Amino acid sequence: MIPGQSVGNTAKTTSYKVVLPFYIYAAISFLVSAVLLLLSSEAFLGHYFQPKILAITHMMALGWGTMIILGASHQLVPVIIEQKLHSNILAYCSFVFAAIGIPLLVYGFYVFDMGHPAKWGGRFILLAIITYLINLGISISKSKTENIHAIFVFTSVVWLLITASLGLVLVYNFSPGLHLLPHDSLHYLPLHVHAGIIGWFLLLTIGVGSRLIPMFLISKYTNKKLLNWIFILINLSLLSYILLFYVANIPQLIYLSWCMLLAGIILFVYYCRSAYIQRIRRQVDDQMKISLLSVFMMLVPIILLFLVILILSLFSKESVSLSMSYGFLILFGWITAIILGMTFKTLPFIIWNKVYHRRSGMGKTPNPKDLFNDKVFKVMGLAYLPALIIFVAGILTKILLLLQLGASLMLIAAVLYVFNVFKVVTHQAIKQ
Amino acid sequence: MSVETNNNIKGAIAEAVLEHVYDPEIGLNVVSLGLIYSLIFDDEALKVNCTMTLTTEFCPMGESITGNVKTSLEGAFPDHQVEVILTFEPAWSFELIDEEGRKFLGR
Repeated sequence: MIPGQSVGNTAKTTSYKVVLPFYIYAAISFLVSAVLLLLSSEAFLGHYFQPKILAITHMMALGWGTMIILGASHQLVPVIIEQKLHSNILAYCSFVFAAIGIPLLVYGFYVFDMGHPAKWGGRFILLAIITYLINLGISISKSKTENIHAIFVFTSVVWLLITASLGLVLVYNFSPGLHLLPHDSLHYLPLHVHAGIIGWFLLLTIGVGSRLIPMFLISKYTNKKLLNWIFILINLSLLSYILLFYVANIPQLIYLSWCMLLAGIILFVYYCRSAYIQRIRRQVDDQMKISLLSVFMMLVPIILLFLVILILSLFSKESVSLSMSYGFLILFGWITAIILGMTFKTLPFIIWNKVYHRRSGMGKTPNPKDLFNDKVFKVMGLAYLPALIIFVAGILTKILLLLQLGASLMLIAAVLYVFNVFKVVTHQAIKQ
Repeated sequence: MSVETNNNIKGAIAEAVLEHVYDPEIGLNVVSLGLIYSLIFDDEALKVNCTMTLTTEFCPMGESITGNVKTSLEGAFPDHQVEVILTFEPAWSFELIDEEGRKFLGR
């Protein structure tokens, strides 16, 4: 046995006070997005580039996906890099900037006013990302160990910065008489979307998921070489797409980018499968089932993306309903499924640590999983899956009733999610 | 794996106390999980050194678990100075879980 380090008082984990606002904000954003989805169902019968859909997309991508990921990563990054978060103040600043910026931007899209609200919203969001990047960069630079998970996370935030910067330029590009880009904003929209989806969400999900999935399954599986390959393939896919589509103007070769992306995702599915097979705990809880389902759900949008590219190259015309289904399955499908599962794997631990820290030796304490209502979680899952399928069926068939039914079920799932989040957050210590 | 100790009586008391410290994610106590490697007592200096590990180096509950081990031992041996030493050599593995723990995990 090699002697280790004495356990001192130096806390490595981030304070719950930093993390909780992100979770609460994200939960409310999901609820607001679901309400907007129901109120704006009719918009999904037309083109995706319209105010209400842009508003819902940004509420989901920023208010829901990005906020919860930022919150969770403030908690998880110190664990991954074995280094305390550099600054809690910067983390608070990051939250405040994003919390101000997101509603301004979403409002700007909803009323389609690209003036002050949208511009200030974009600026605040950019500030939030820069603040987070500085905090993350300094924290990583202090880390003594080099690890692939941290590289995934850092690179993903760089892509987020690129996405948000381009987004702000696109907002400015709408201003009358101010054309910063040679083409109209719609031309750059795929770049903005894919830098966000692949560069930010996908890289981050893989970076954090490759650490958390084996950990929660209690699996000893690890494969750094495979993760290196996934990192290279996904970044190359995105870079080659930019080069082929926007620089060299050879869109015919875009299949190359798609193949690299597919290969990266398949390798990650293989990684998760290996971790699942080598798990020590036989029983897999519902939260992990939804999280594992989300890994497979990555494959559905990628197939749709292939169809979108194929139709575009064969008929020189975009299939709007396929593109819209693709975007919906990413935001309300893959990203939402990960969050629905992982929230109840991470949030109860944060609250448990807050409430029962140093108490488990002094009497019976509940398990973290007892902090939320399991039945409500199950019903949420039962509402969520049909919501997703029915809404996509509505987009593809252009039947309003299906869209409204799907959106209603999604709203039920969101209400139940928020109920459980607040149940966990407001948990008080059980008196002995 | 049984816990290494230089004092069978105190070691048994410490183990009994630590059986009430749980890994909250797995729901098993730290002794059954095989996280406790040794409990070494220094009767003259009134010290107890607990060498332990975690299921993973990145365990987010690590601080809480090691803190609970320390608090529990301090409660059991109030006149002793307790030091908890965290090591990952050897790394924790499935083989360290006792029979009761394996049944609990469905193995």
